[in-house]
Amino acid sequence: MTADIHMRAVSAEAMSAIDGLMGNYVAALDWQDWNGWLGSFADSCHYSVTSRQNAESNLPLCYMIDDCRARIEDRVKFITEVWASTIEPYRTRHVTQRLSVSRMDDRNYRVLSNVVVMFTQNNDPSGVLVTGYYDDVVTVDGGTALFASKTVYIDGTPTRYLAYPL
Amino acid sequence: MKGQCDMATTAGMEEYETVRARIAGQFTTEKDIPKAIFSDPAIYREELKRIFRGHYWHMVAHRAELPEANSFKTFWLGETPVLLTRGEDETLRAFVNTCTHRGTLLEQRATGCSKEFECPYHRWLFSNKGNFIGGPGRRDFRSDFVAEDYALREFQVDEIAGLIFCSAAPQVGLEEWLGQCAGHVRDVMLDDGRLTLLGYQNAIFNANWKTYFDNDFYHAPLLHMGFRLLSWHGGQGEVRVEEPVGHFSVGYESSPYEDNGFLADPSLVEMKGTDARARVVALRPAYVLTKHLDTISVRFVRPLGVDRTQVTYAFFGHESDSPEYQAHRVRQASNLLGPSGMITIEDAAVFNRQQMTSRDGGMSRFVVGVDRPAAEARQNDENGNTAGWAYYREVMGFDR
Repeated sequence: MTADIHMRAVSAEAMSAIDGLMGNYVAALDWQDWNGWLGSFADSCHYSVTSRQNAESNLPLCYMIDDCRARIEDRVKFITEVWASTIEPYRTRHVTQRLSVSRMDDRNYRVLSNVVVMFTQNNDPSGVLVTGYYDDVVTVDGGTALFASKTVYIDGTPTRYLAYPL
Repeated sequence: MKGQCDMATTAGMEEYETVRARIAGQFTTEKDIPKAIFSDPAIYREELKRIFRGHYWHMVAHRAELPEANSFKTFWLGETPVLLTRGEDETLRAFVNTCTHRGTLLEQRATGCSKEFECPYHRWLFSNKGNFIGGPGRRDFRSDFVAEDYALREFQVDEIAGLIFCSAAPQVGLEEWLGQCAGHVRDVMLDDGRLTLLGYQNAIFNANWKTYFDNDFYHAPLLHMGFRLLSWHGGQGEVRVEEPVGHFSVGYESSPYEDNGFLADPSLVEMKGTDARARVVALRPAYVLTKHLDTISVRFVRPLGVDRTQVTYAFFGHESDSPEYQAHRVRQASNLLGPSGMITIEDAAVFNRQQMTSRDGGMSRFVVGVDRPAAEARQNDENGNTAGWAYYREVMGFDR
């Protein structure tokens, strides 16, 4: 992670749009609003979840790679239509901490955030599902922000198998 | 000290014998497994000794994970730490990853490249051939010190098509151990084993290691909604059951996916290579290899206790892959067949849900096709499981 902690030339409007997107994204995941999750991505987009182990060894394998919007739509379809009766469902609580926002060009910003995801299965005590960070490219158009890409780096082995995106 | 160890071992044997005798009355056939087998701590401890430190060959790595001379990989064989090295002479060697002085874990990195390994405690130094090279203060070492006695404790190592196995006390060579399943192992390794490592996916299941294995390589396609929705049919494959150990493998040809409109992006499940071989190989005691479409996967297993198991899914490409083909392999591997895979995620739920009931005093039963001889096993029969259980009964002393 190469966190650029200087938030250079980021307007208050852009920052507000980015924070709004981050809030909506986390809320969509935690309330399992899968269309809301899909809606946080731009038409041209990339979503992936990988481990620091793979990333730091330059190994390209991920836990999830959705390299176009159609793939994200298919992930939603599997969660809602295919797996619903078989996987062990769980609730999540994402806690994020924005670390930096860097302006890349007129519309795009690189946003780095820490993330801790808690999970609760049945009504059991909650536990940590993963810790890690987001490395995002956010496209801001007026007051609207969408993810052009979102890469989730998880620090270690997930506590249980991942059924839902992070 | 020696006396204490002997007493502990004896106590452990007595405890195991008590448990064994109690369960043996229920465990009279490989078709009906008392669930205590999956949940009794005394059985688990005895398995570590008889199976993980015993005569079984264990699949532990692929050469692609040790890509050059002096590479190493560390892992756990049951509860024993292991250091696997690739020497300058290209020889693979495996050692107990423990300093022979005071027993400190010698190398803590998962992988790397080194000719020597230094214990951080008293700076004892070992070569990647396992030899004791030296340590500070040697003139004050005990009078009967002989360097050879302090070499790292070694495992037997062998490989097939780049896939590396080790054993603490093998009774037969690897090829004989694998038997007729060896051919399918080579198929998964694309014959020459010149694979490239694409990466790892890790999962911890709340399941006994046998619960994991027994349900990973075999199940009727009823479980996997994804297979059905994608109209995938494996067809009648060539099934091999290797007795007496109970390895199982099935081979068939991948049928091309016919777009039925279910997926918005069907390119994920296309087969872009020319090698249509599809294989599932399950090697006792706990290892699974698969080749599906363009994915090549081997699954390394580490028991973490009687009801927890860590599985590392390693995925591979081939040295001859174009960048475009490798990218396709990565995309497919990352989404289809790992612990969160679109096709295989239901497996994990079954592992966990079986383990949850393992203390209810009941039985786990095999029913489908088990009256057929192993030589006549069909793809979704359960006699691929029972052959291995018959061997397990023998190894663990439940047959007497």
